[in-house]
Amino acid sequence: MKFLSAERIADFFAALATSFELRLPVMLPDGTRSIGTLEDGPIALQGGALDSKPTAVFFPQQEVVFTARDGEVPDTPLPARPLLVVGLTRCDLDCLRFIDRFFAGGWRDDLYFRQRENAVIVAVSGYCGAGGSLLPLAAGNCDLELVWDGSCWLVVPYSESGGSIADSIADSTGSGALQRIRTESLFHIDEGDAIIRRASELLRANRVPDSFWEEIGDRCIACTGCNLVCPTCTCFGVQDWRYRNVVERSRMWDSCQLAGFMREASGHNPMGSEALRSRRRIHHKLAADPERWGEISCYLCGRCDAVCPTGIGIVAVSQELVARFE
Amino acid sequence: MKKTLTVCPYCGTGCALYLVSDGGRLIGVEPSVTHPVSRGGLCVKGWNAFAFVQHPDRLTTPLIRRNGELMPASWNEALGLVVERLQSIQQRYGHDSVMFCSSAKATNEENYLLMKLARGVFFTNNIDHCARLCHSSTVFGLAETLGSGAMTNSIACFDQADLIFVIGSNTTEQHPLIGTRILNAVRSGTKLIVADNRRIRLARHADLHLRHKNGSDVALLNAMMHVIITEGRMNRPFIENRTENYAAFAENLREWTPERAAAITGLEAGEIVVAARLFAEAKNAMIVFSMGITQHSHGVDNVRCCAALALLTGNLGRPGAGVNPLRGQNNVQGGCDMGALPDVFSCYQPVADPGMRQKFARAWGVADLPGSPGLALTHAMDAAAAGELQGMFIMGENPLLSDPDQAHARQALQNLELLVVQDIFLTETAVLADVVLPAACYAEKEGTFTNTERRVQRLRKALEPPGEALADWEIICALAERAGYGGMRYSGPAQVMEEIAALTSSYGGISFERLDQHGLQWPCPDAKHPGTPVLHVDHCTRGPGRFSPADYRPPHETADDDYPFVLTTGRTYFHWHTGTMTRRSHLLDREERSAFIEINPEDAGRLGVRENDIVLVASRRGEIRVAVRVTGMVIPGVVFIPFHFAEGAANALTNNVLDPESSIPEFKVCAVRIRRIV
Ligand code: SF4
Ligand code: SF4
Repeated sequence: MKFLSAERIADFFAALATSFELRLPVMLPDGTRSIGTLEDGPIALQGGALDSKPTAVFFPQQEVVFTARDGEVPDTPLPARPLLVVGLTRCDLDCLRFIDRFFAGGWRDDLYFRQRENAVIVAVSGYCGAGGSLLPLAAGNCDLELVWDGSCWLVVPYSESGGSIADSIADSTGSGALQRIRTESLFHIDEGDAIIRRASELLRANRVPDSFWEEIGDRCIACTGCNLVCPTCTCFGVQDWRYRNVVERSRMWDSCQLAGFMREASGHNPMGSEALRSRRRIHHKLAADPERWGEISCYLCGRCDAVCPTGIGIVAVSQELVARFE
Repeated sequence: MKKTLTVCPYCGTGCALYLVSDGGRLIGVEPSVTHPVSRGGLCVKGWNAFAFVQHPDRLTTPLIRRNGELMPASWNEALGLVVERLQSIQQRYGHDSVMFCSSAKATNEENYLLMKLARGVFFTNNIDHCARLCHSSTVFGLAETLGSGAMTNSIACFDQADLIFVIGSNTTEQHPLIGTRILNAVRSGTKLIVADNRRIRLARHADLHLRHKNGSDVALLNAMMHVIITEGRMNRPFIENRTENYAAFAENLREWTPERAAAITGLEAGEIVVAARLFAEAKNAMIVFSMGITQHSHGVDNVRCCAALALLTGNLGRPGAGVNPLRGQNNVQGGCDMGALPDVFSCYQPVADPGMRQKFARAWGVADLPGSPGLALTHAMDAAAAGELQGMFIMGENPLLSDPDQAHARQALQNLELLVVQDIFLTETAVLADVVLPAACYAEKEGTFTNTERRVQRLRKALEPPGEALADWEIICALAERAGYGGMRYSGPAQVMEEIAALTSSYGGISFERLDQHGLQWPCPDAKHPGTPVLHVDHCTRGPGRFSPADYRPPHETADDDYPFVLTTGRTYFHWHTGTMTRRSHLLDREERSAFIEINPEDAGRLGVRENDIVLVASRRGEIRVAVRVTGMVIPGVVFIPFHFAEGAANALTNNVLDPESSIPEFKVCAVRIRRIV
């Protein structure tokens, strides 16, 4: 099995940067870890899930849909080089799989797939979570996985493109460490998992009273952060900017925590209260999506709990809900 | 792709965020997870802080009015014209015939430079900015009682308070990431008193919600202090060791029984007693206030009472306590600190003091500086309306929407011989200008902002300004050069900060290098100083804390038969002031599209109006049409209108009556009548 020492990582990515558009975990100047380019800061593979969602590479907060000049809409050129996106955790990969299916369903979202189509996905796992904790092995759902065994990155390919990247690496080692991590990953338990499953049951059994959502709604300042950082949130708004002879249409992340999200032209709003919007946020992931897709669409990436200024991310709310209504 | 660490351009909380750009185009923001204030979060405005920056309406070239129409012009011509006409006015009418309006949205360096331009180049102290409209009463009242007009404590202190008393601040909407600290504190056991007759979000979490009548704060606070004294709950050692004028103050409170205050405030006497006891019993009690205290014709008196309450209970000079005015604009603290005020140089060094004038004159290489204080913004508008002021240079303000009594403001601006507006969009005010200068916005320049807790922070350039737009500091320096002054040649804002630090003791230790990454809180007098999270620790800045008695004066206008409702104005969560930026941010604009009035269900029933009906709201000064929002947010007899919307401008109604000491207008109370039209 191929491996990379920590010292080789920079060269490894520098070499890949000649054939790919690189997006990888970097340390920004104030210690925020984010997905960026080699110019944005030092590579920061260690530390667990990135503070911002890596799926923003394919679906950024705002992007141009088309630019019409004198009424004509020219074709948008495809990106010159494929993306190589590094740093997704197992949860992030689940999220990516979820939105891949969403954007492919019905009409295919060409904007999303323009970037996503030929992208190479590199996961990270092993003892590179926060404080050296275990990030469970992804074991698939990606092209290549970098597994930190405590002293070096084991390189595990899953696809043809992943394979050829691995082939370019000279150093080999045994697969004992990988086996150990694989086994440990099987026993890895995220406590949030049981909580959201139990919360999901309660919601689907209709055992959560409206008064609970009023309390949660009272604590929500509608910052929209929970939606914006969520890798499985896909709602967007659309705007047109008009210049002389040119119309530029763009789309931007939207949020179901905003009253305007569902407000009708008449002024009536079927999601017209904070309580209803708070309920929807949790209900969608834990009750509606299981019915639509057969799975809960929160994969416990932890970002909404981290970003919410008042402590009502999905796990925190699920905890309260289970404690009170189970 | 590029990620640029910078500061949110909206409120004085001063959250840090990364602007994400790709190929010269902004594509979003990311919060900073290590920032001590925002701690990885942002409010909805912060999350949308990128959205207006590249809007097609941005100004891209200078404009000059020709045959009544604003036409594109070159920088050369525009700058020449501005200087020539300002000078010509001054030659004809004297130095003080022109007014410079600085901006709480611009950087410290830009505020400093505009005040240098006004004083050092155009020889006038006629410089002010919108702090006049928001916290001039705080600056006056706290300078008198404590010696410093700034927030005494830090945002981190919200986590350490045992009780938070919020009076006249809708914190979760106007300083959202401070508001959420309060919500979190309450969940971990901190007591909360909210005094505000609107049922704001904080009120839903409060141990006590006091819905006192608009403009009755002095009565409420005096009665609370009366109870504290008569029940012997004051902090005697603190009063003895650290304050002065207590005896006279206590004497003045003797008559302020809760019963007397109840009649004025509309509260039960018992509520006032409970509030007083809760406050006095808390180990660390924090007073938080904002426009609900300051924007009154007795704003300074309100502030005096807030300071006195802290002094009386010894809640000063330690974490989790203090008198905490929340500054509204991202850099309104800095605008004041930099001396964009008519009576002081940077950090409140009086222009009337010959020694100060000499110090600045020497540093700036000018022979002399004007010594008599200039016009406050509000007085300048009056002077212009009366034909006593001929020229006005406005940087980044929109007084046509933000000043009280719009008809008066319009008349004032139209009366001017020369109006120059430097801004990022063609604002309602810029439309009236003779010359418009296109400025870079926060995302397109370097500099510093000072947030409400006195934290000086760096903003950084993420992309180039549109077209020919220039940073405000570049424009000011070019104007100085045109006016024949060679003392404003800087390599960049960092060098301007060096000059500020050399002339301003509380910024003495501040430099761009030291501000990486999350800034420093002034006072920071030298290069080794770590900054100051809590003021007045051993003694107040002025020495002993001063008890200043205040007597109740009612608002200038109260409801009567002709105008039976009290109108109070303010902002909404989704918009910023006159909406120049937020109304050009798609999601923020979608949230609140148009002007509205909040009416209590009882009043709505009586008026026969329903949700979304259009009503005509009239005061003695003007009338507007707005949509009805029927809500228990307001009490019967009181209505609320936000001032963001040009097409339903609340300030067409407000009353241009000023606090006699601070010249702040009474935005918070006027009388109106309401009639259904659709
Ligand atoms: S992050 Fe929290 S406060 Fe913000 S919208 Fe979501 S639930 Fe509300
Ligand atoms: S709380 Fe204030 S500084 Fe922070 S993101 Fe919101 S508007 Fe910006």
